[in-house]
Amino acid sequence: MAGRGLTDSRAARLGLIAAAVVVAAQLGVGAAWSLTHDDPSLLQLTRRCLEREKGFAVEETTGDPVAGSARGGTLRAIVEGGLVTLSIANGTGEVERLRAAYAAKGDPGPRLDVHGRYVALWLRPPTRGQRQHTYDCAY
Amino acid sequence: MRTDRYRLAVGGVLGAQAALLLWNAWHYSWLRGYDAYANDRYAAVVAGQYRLPSAEESGVWHTPPLWFAAAGALRRASTALGWAPAQRPGQLLAAAAGIAIAVLVLLLARELWPERHLLHVTALGLVALCPALVRASAMYHPETLAVALATAGVLVAVRGLRRGWTPWSAVGAGALLGLAALTRGWALPVLAAVALAATVDAWTRRKLAAPALLVLTAVALQLPWLVNQQLAHDSALAFNRPAPEESILARRPASFYLGPRTLRVFDHPVTPLFRNELVPHLYADWWGDWALTWNSPPPPAPSELLPSYVVSDRVRQMFVGFVPSVLALAGVLALGAVAVARRSAALAVLPLTAAAVAVAYLVFAVAYPSTDGDTIKGTYLLAALPAGAIGAAFVVDALWPHGRAWSAALVGALTLFAAVQLPFLVL
Repeated sequence: MAGRGLTDSRAARLGLIAAAVVVAAQLGVGAAWSLTHDDPSLLQLTRRCLEREKGFAVEETTGDPVAGSARGGTLRAIVEGGLVTLSIANGTGEVERLRAAYAAKGDPGPRLDVHGRYVALWLRPPTRGQRQHTYDCAY
Repeated sequence: MRTDRYRLAVGGVLGAQAALLLWNAWHYSWLRGYDAYANDRYAAVVAGQYRLPSAEESGVWHTPPLWFAAAGALRRASTALGWAPAQRPGQLLAAAAGIAIAVLVLLLARELWPERHLLHVTALGLVALCPALVRASAMYHPETLAVALATAGVLVAVRGLRRGWTPWSAVGAGALLGLAALTRGWALPVLAAVALAATVDAWTRRKLAAPALLVLTAVALQLPWLVNQQLAHDSALAFNRPAPEESILARRPASFYLGPRTLRVFDHPVTPLFRNELVPHLYADWWGDWALTWNSPPPPAPSELLPSYVVSDRVRQMFVGFVPSVLALAGVLALGAVAVARRSAALAVLPLTAAAVAVAYLVFAVAYPSTDGDTIKGTYLLAALPAGAIGAAFVVDALWPHGRAWSAALVGALTLFAAVQLPFLVL
């Protein structure tokens, strides 16, 4: 197409400059945030998700030495009326250790639910919906 | 680029893309796609009982019915033939539409710049290797058919604007855009953009018949659906959940607009990190698979952590997508500038469609916030892909040095772009 003042290459350069400004601004926001905020731990993210996004009550885990030994930390929540103790493992080996430690106290059956690095011990067998809420907050 | 090499490159890209999309559609579980079960219920009701589903029967009752009618008819046929799963033909229909989108983008680029072979090949390559399109083309979902019909409508309109309208081209463009809007609501902003460009062009020529025909045809096709929605659900643009009653400005937090965790896309671009932060969430889902519905185990097996390749594949995609994303944004802006400077309605159509789709999507995402982020999906923006791909190709073609060696280098770069993505794109 014949140019009328604005050549293709000039338009392309202008477009690149404008795009670079937009992208730099977005990256700048991200960089500023990263510099001024510590990345929250998985436990903090999960707690915030359960509390703020799901609206469930969350408290410290007490009286559960197995959960207390989880390297990623632990929390206790009431999910749609169901009490659950969530423990966060740092790898597959620790997941198995936590699972075995709970099983050693007697078969927990469907009360024990493992999802990735998250080991959940429910007070009563959870519904599908209750389980899904904890999955939604697993990072 | 010599003609024989040009043909070889175009044929090679189209052949490889067709093989990729059909392979994926064949191997992708239909149930893993977005709203798969609700889509299937809708298709079964439309094709089996010849009516629209109620809100109780399908969670996607708010989606227009064209794709469901086609997928439902295919579903019935495959059931009658004993072909399982009965949803597979619907996936193949989505793949065929994905292939059609690539062909249409090529034709659009050729229509706008007939002699610029390098631009054509670059645009085609960027569409064929777009992860959001590749994923959508494997799903049991109407998105790709809507984008294909909308892109066909854009092509006919651009041709009309460049070569002069005929009554048939105006009706054709209107029909294609109307059918696209009868497939997915995201085609409506494309229709609005095309209508605007055609009307402004016609206004200066004092020949308003073509845009009038275009709009009347599209509205005639769309009107029954909109009237039905208005009567049945109190809104022509009803969605499957009510919008919050608070002011639209208060529905999303500042983090939605600012995306403070943007840098995390380069180290962990999967759910639930930066959920509901618009830019990083969309970017991660467009170039990767933020919601883990693609090639990860469905869902992560109990007692196993997310396999390391799931995250590493997606991290690689985030780096791969950076330059094309910048080029696409630059290209859309450049095309807009060129269209204004040259008063070219044909050139204005693409940036207008991109802008209209982006604005419509932003309004939708703000109007309907969701805690799980399910209203933020890369595939929702596929209607802007033709503009982004052709815009990026325009920038590359305008700035890339010309000559045989440089052309070969560009083809090499596109080949590398494909090779790096293949582990993620091929199921």
